[in-house]
This record gives sequence, C-alpha cells and structure tokens, in this order.
Amino acid sequence: MTFLQDYAYYIGAFGLIFIGLFTMLVKRNLIKVIIGLSILETGVNLFLISVGYIGKGTAPIFSKAGLEARRMVDPVPQALVLTAIVIGVAVLALALSLAIRLYHHYGILDLRKIKEQRW
Amino acid sequence: MRSIISFLLLVIIAWGVALSLDRIPFGEPKTRLGDYYIEKGRDETGASNVVTSVVVNYRGFDTLGEVTVLFVAAVGLSAVLATRRKKQKGQREPASLVLNAGCRFLFPLILLFGAYIFIHGHLTPGGGFQGGAIIASAFLLVYMGCRGRRINEAGSKTVESLSGLVFLVIGLIGLTMGGQYFLFNFLPKGELNSLFSAGIIPIIYIAIGCKVGSELGGIIDRLVEESE
Amino acid sequence: MVGPVLLIAVPLGLAFVLPLLGLLSKRMVKYIPAAAFLFNLILAVRLLPEAMREPLVVHIGGFPPPFCINLVAGPVGMLFSALIALAGFTVALYGLRYIESGAKEKYHMLYLFLLTGATGVVLTGDIFNLFVFFEILCISSYALVAYLGDRASVESAVKYLIQGSIGSSFLLIGIGLLYGIFGTLNMADLARQIASASPVSIFVPMALMVTGLGVEAAIFPLNAWLPDAHSSAPSSISAILSGIAIEVGLYAVVRVIFTIFGLSSMLIFFVLLGVLTLLIGELCAFSQANIKRMLAYSSIGQIGLVVFAMAMATSLAVSGGLFQLVSHTLGKGLLFLAAGYMVYRSGSMEISSLEGMGKRMPLTSLAFTIGAFSIVGLPPFVGFPSKFLIVRAALTEGTALLTVLVGLVLAATVIEGAYFFRVIQALYFGREKADTERKEAPVSGLIPMFLFAALIVVVGIYPQLITGLIDSAAAELLDKLGYIRGVLG
Repeated sequence: MTFLQDYAYYIGAFGLIFIGLFTMLVKRNLIKVIIGLSILETGVNLFLISVGYIGKGTAPIFSKAGLEARRMVDPVPQALVLTAIVIGVAVLALALSLAIRLYHHYGILDLRKIKEQRW
Repeated sequence: MRSIISFLLLVIIAWGVALSLDRIPFGEPKTRLGDYYIEKGRDETGASNVVTSVVVNYRGFDTLGEVTVLFVAAVGLSAVLATRRKKQKGQREPASLVLNAGCRFLFPLILLFGAYIFIHGHLTPGGGFQGGAIIASAFLLVYMGCRGRRINEAGSKTVESLSGLVFLVIGLIGLTMGGQYFLFNFLPKGELNSLFSAGIIPIIYIAIGCKVGSELGGIIDRLVEESE
Repeated sequence: MVGPVLLIAVPLGLAFVLPLLGLLSKRMVKYIPAAAFLFNLILAVRLLPEAMREPLVVHIGGFPPPFCINLVAGPVGMLFSALIALAGFTVALYGLRYIESGAKEKYHMLYLFLLTGATGVVLTGDIFNLFVFFEILCISSYALVAYLGDRASVESAVKYLIQGSIGSSFLLIGIGLLYGIFGTLNMADLARQIASASPVSIFVPMALMVTGLGVEAAIFPLNAWLPDAHSSAPSSISAILSGIAIEVGLYAVVRVIFTIFGLSSMLIFFVLLGVLTLLIGELCAFSQANIKRMLAYSSIGQIGLVVFAMAMATSLAVSGGLFQLVSHTLGKGLLFLAAGYMVYRSGSMEISSLEGMGKRMPLTSLAFTIGAFSIVGLPPFVGFPSKFLIVRAALTEGTALLTVLVGLVLAATVIEGAYFFRVIQALYFGREKADTERKEAPVSGLIPMFLFAALIVVVGIYPQLITGLIDSAAAELLDKLGYIRGVLG
C-alpha cells in the first residue's frame, strides 16, 4: 500500500502515458488519435515534473529579500516541462489543421478507410 | 487483434519502465544541478524566480528553440490551411447584448493580467509563455463572445516577427559585449526583487509574451475563420 | 569562439525576419534561403581546419558546463554542418523556380527552419537541447510534406505526424528517466556518470531514446511513414528529407549510443537490423512503379546499409558509414532533383510515363543517370569508395557472420542496380511520346543538379579530399573519453 502511496505520481503519469499510447494505436477516428496524443503528452509532462519533486519542498522563488534557501524543489524539470508543453501545443495545432484538411478531402476521418496509397 | 498486440506491447514497456523507476525514488533530493541553480541563481542572474533564471539564462537556448517551434507550428498551420480561404459568410445570429458588452469589457482586463504575468516573470511565478497564453485566451473570448471581430493580420504577423527578432538580437549582442557568449546577461542586474532587475531577462520575457500572445491569437483566428 | 553559434543563429534570424522582408518586396523572399546557406557553407568551411585540430566548445550564456548548454563543433559536427549547408544551398537554388504554387513565403520559412533544426541537432552537446532542435526539424518536415495540399500529401503528413510524435514522446520519457537517475542533462556529464552505472537501469532509457530517434532515422520497423512522406512531398523537400533529415536522425542515434551510453563494441542487434532494413528497402523498391516511391524505398535501404556500417563500431566501419552518408546526400539529392523536373514535364510519377525522356530532357536524364550510378556504387562516382570502405571494414573483421552479411549486402546492391537500370532503360531506350521537342529543365534547376553531379564525380575520383575529415570524425564518434575531456576539461 505504501508503494502505491509513494509512487502515486509515477503511476498516475505512466497510466496517462499508456492510456494515450493505447488510444493512438488502436482508435480509428483521427480526432480520437489526436486526443490520445494530447493525453500522452500530458502524461509525459507529469512524469517529468514528478521527477523533480523534493519532499516538503516549496517553489524555488525568493519572494522576500533575504529569504534563505529552505528546501526547494528542483527548478530544472519545471523548465523542461515549460518547453515540452509548448512543443506539445505546437504539434497539436499542426495535427488539427491536417485533420481539417483531411476531412475536406475525404469527408470522413476513419484512418483505416483513408488509404489512398497502397504499398 | 490490433488491441491485443498494442496491449502486450504496452505491458512490456511498462515492465521495463518500472525496472528503471526503481532507481528514481520519489521525493528525494537527487541532483546537484538543482542545488547549484538555487544557490547561485540569485547572484549570477539577479532574478528571484529561479525557474525563470533557468529558463531564460542558463537554458536560454532551449527557450529560443521553443519559441521557434511555436513559430514553425503557426506558419505550418497557415500553410496547410492556406488554400481554403472561402469568403462566404454563413448566416449566424449575432450575440446578445449582455454577452457582447461583457466580452468587450473583459478583454482589456485579461490583456492587462497577461501583461502583468509576463512583465513580472522574474519576480513571481509565470513568465512569457504563461502570459502569452492568457493574452491569447482574451482573443478567444472576443471571438466566441462577439462574433465577427477579427485580429489585424498584418499587425499580428509584424509583432510576431519583431519579437522573435528581439530575442535573437539580444542573444547576438551578448556575443559582442561583455563575455563574448551568446545570450550573455550584459545589462546591470539591479537590486533583487525590484522590477528593473535581472538584466536581459525581463526584456526577453516581454518579447516572448508578445510573440506567444500574437501567435496563438493568429492560430485561433485562422481556425475560427476555417469554421465559418 | 564566434563561429558555431552563427551557423544556427543566422538562418534562424533570417527566418524570423522573412515575413517583414516579404512585406517590403515579394520577389526578394525566395533568395533568402540560398543566401543564408551560402553564408553557412562559407562559415562551416572556414571553421573546419580549427575544428579538426580540437573540437570547438561554445558555452551558451557564459556559465561553465554542465550548468549551461554547450555546443560541440568537432569534426563530426562540422562535417554534418557543411553537408547540411551545401545541400541547403543547392536545393534552395532549385526551389527558386520549382516552387510556384501555394504559399511560397511559408515554404521558404519552413525550409529555413528545417535546416536550422538539423544544424542544431548535429552541433548540440545537451540532450534536452537535442530534443528541442529535433522537434524543430520534425515539425517543419510534417508541415512541408503537406505543402502541396492534395489528398496523398495530407494523408502522408498525418501518418508521419502520428508516428513522429509517438517517437518524440518516447524520446522525452527517456530523457526524463536519465535526468532522474543521473541528475544532469549535459551529454559529456552523462557519459562520465553512465560509465559507472548498472546496465539494467540504463537499458530502458537507451531503448526508449533509440526508438524515439529511430522513427526519424527510418530504421526498420519504424519506417512505415517514409515511402508515403517522401513521395508526396515536393521534390526539393524529398531531396532534403532523404538526404538530410533521416541522416541527422541517424547521427542522433549514433551519438546517443556511442557517446552517451558508451557502447563501443560491435552491436549484433543493430548489425542484423541494418541488413534487414537494407534488404527490405531494396526489395520493396524493386517492385515499385512510381518513381518517387522507388527512390524513397531506396533511401530506406541506404540507411540500413549505414546502420550496418555504424553498428560494427570499428573506426574503419564508422568511416565507411559517414562516407556513405555523404554520398547518399549527394546521390539521392541529385536523383530527387532530376526526378522533380522529369515528373513535372511528363505530368505523372509513373516510371512508364518517363519513357523517352532521354531525348526530351537530355541534361536532366544525364544527371539522373549519374545519381543512379553513384547510389548503386559504380566507379568513378562517389558511391563506389564509400560502399567499398564498408565492405572492406566488414571483411577485415573476419567473422563468419559478417562475411555472410557482406554477401547479402552485395546481393542488395545487385537488386539496386536492377531497378535503377530499369529506369535508365526507360529514359533512354523507351518509346518516345508524341511531342518530342526538347524542353529542358530551367537553368535554376540545372545548376543545382550539376553542382551535385560535379561533386559526385570529383569526390569519387579523389576521395582523399574528404577522407581525412571523415577519419577524424569517425575517431571523434568512437572516442568517448576524448569527448568528455574536451567539454568538461
């Protein structure tokens, strides 16, 4: 039980990652695949942040002059996740624009049926 | 069939990852990078928000790449949707007076809030990307609440390009002054916790805030136009 | 120390400023990528002698590594930067007339971003920075594959995007695991710490990162996106994707395996995977009727050959692999550029519609023939010394397995020769179509093609011109301790 409690964030993050991956691999509708991509990226960002957590730490901001460095969480994963979130948004925007174009061409969004090119 | 194979694949990956996660205990201090940044961050960069000094100064090159990725996505989106400019206006009923007036009232307040967040990026949590996203949400509110108002496209593209250029030029200036490094913090660091401190960091965050705001606003504008 | 940062900053700055220049004068916009990469080429060639003596390490921001991001411009980095700049310049010249429809300004911006991302990947010394520049490369290529906007392009771009973003997420998970275990993001620092870590805990991050980067490097079985994407993109972009993007992905895989994880003995798994990729690529190419799909499958085969060479992990083999990458950029780039105008004139991508092109477009067909002979590996073109070096490296090892694999490589070369000769036969000996007036490709298309062709012939006859650079690049890739010493002192 303590295993679940200790590693709750990791289990949650990887749970999201696997739900996202499963959705992307199995679903046929392109919009559902894109939603799966969004879930996958959220899971990865959650995992990155929880790597940097230090127990009972506070945010790494010296809000009052003269505040000494008590236990603060690691600032590096937060910087990484900032970048990763923006990159995820960028990919999602491009994916949605491609979905719009695909719908205009084919009229459906079923990936199994959209197979203009054989082998 | 496909579901079963995918499920098995995911189980294998999960088992592998669990083996590795064993080495990363949750909640323990692990890295000396974090300690260095927390201890020396204030003196070397002058920002009281250590995450900001990491994002803009220590790992500023990543931030430049991130700004570029967003720009690439905006350009790619408008390139993909380029040939679909139908100017036919569907019949839509205009929004009610309460909605219209309310959105127009809230719009400058949200812009102000977004600007506050990216101007104070080095003092409080937040920064360029967060402030830019809030600015874009102000535009989205206007699109959804008062139909028919559009962003000035040439203006938004100019703001995007200029802000990106400001970031790059500040980095290049660092090459010529001071310590001969790209993205060197060459402006005076000022007093901790005051608004005009931390050298180039507020300037870069203001540029990023304007860029992200106008970029996301442009993306939303393009998609809303597509849906009409 | 001014140098290597400008290789990234100048094209990036020009890409940012391009919309503003477009407001001033629409005609000037298409010359900007060519100017940017001419600058890059000159700078890269100027920095080469210095980089070969000792790798140039640039600290961004002025802090000591590992507390900052650093660029490492050693022989490998400068070799790839020069190759990217050369290909970028040449294909930008080709694109002056070739890109006529669509949002041209955006094409040129995306083109600059793609090659900036590629240059960033080869120069960086930090794994998260590698991820960011890798994403710039990938996202620009997703958008450029969909540039023409027809059904096939958009479908290919969607499939490429889905597979590419799964790969990027795997890469990011691997980076997160590495940071959690070792506490640093700098490649040299990681290399130093991994040497004393248990293999079990680093196997999973390595597998995730190699899978993530392998999607872009088109290693089997992660290359399902490649035939569609490279055949639906505009031909100039196909040349860049086949010639630069997948090679840069492969460079990232090799850098991660050799330098960060420090594996330096022969990797049987990748040797077998490389030969498997090669055989599958060549066999599929043989059965294609669409010329750009045929060339795309041929790219898969060539990447398999390079994986086979790199996985042998001796300095001779890695030199062969790097040389093969250079000759593939030149040869496949030339093939796609020539095919671009041939397809444009004949109106269809089927090989049967290219019959008789030898008389209608003699110079373009000659360029195509030179490219084809180079890829197959005939002397005196540059494909011959590179393939010969790989085969020689494999036979020097002397094990039975490698001898069998060399036999398979030669069989694949025979298959390659078969399908390329089929196309050349159609070009020169096919029945001509009704209108046989000579309508050659425009000058802005011929100059890049003959630039590539000239390089193929010159380097093929005098490989000594670049073997010095390639040998020191191979030595740098395999020398993990030298890399750590160069960066961290």
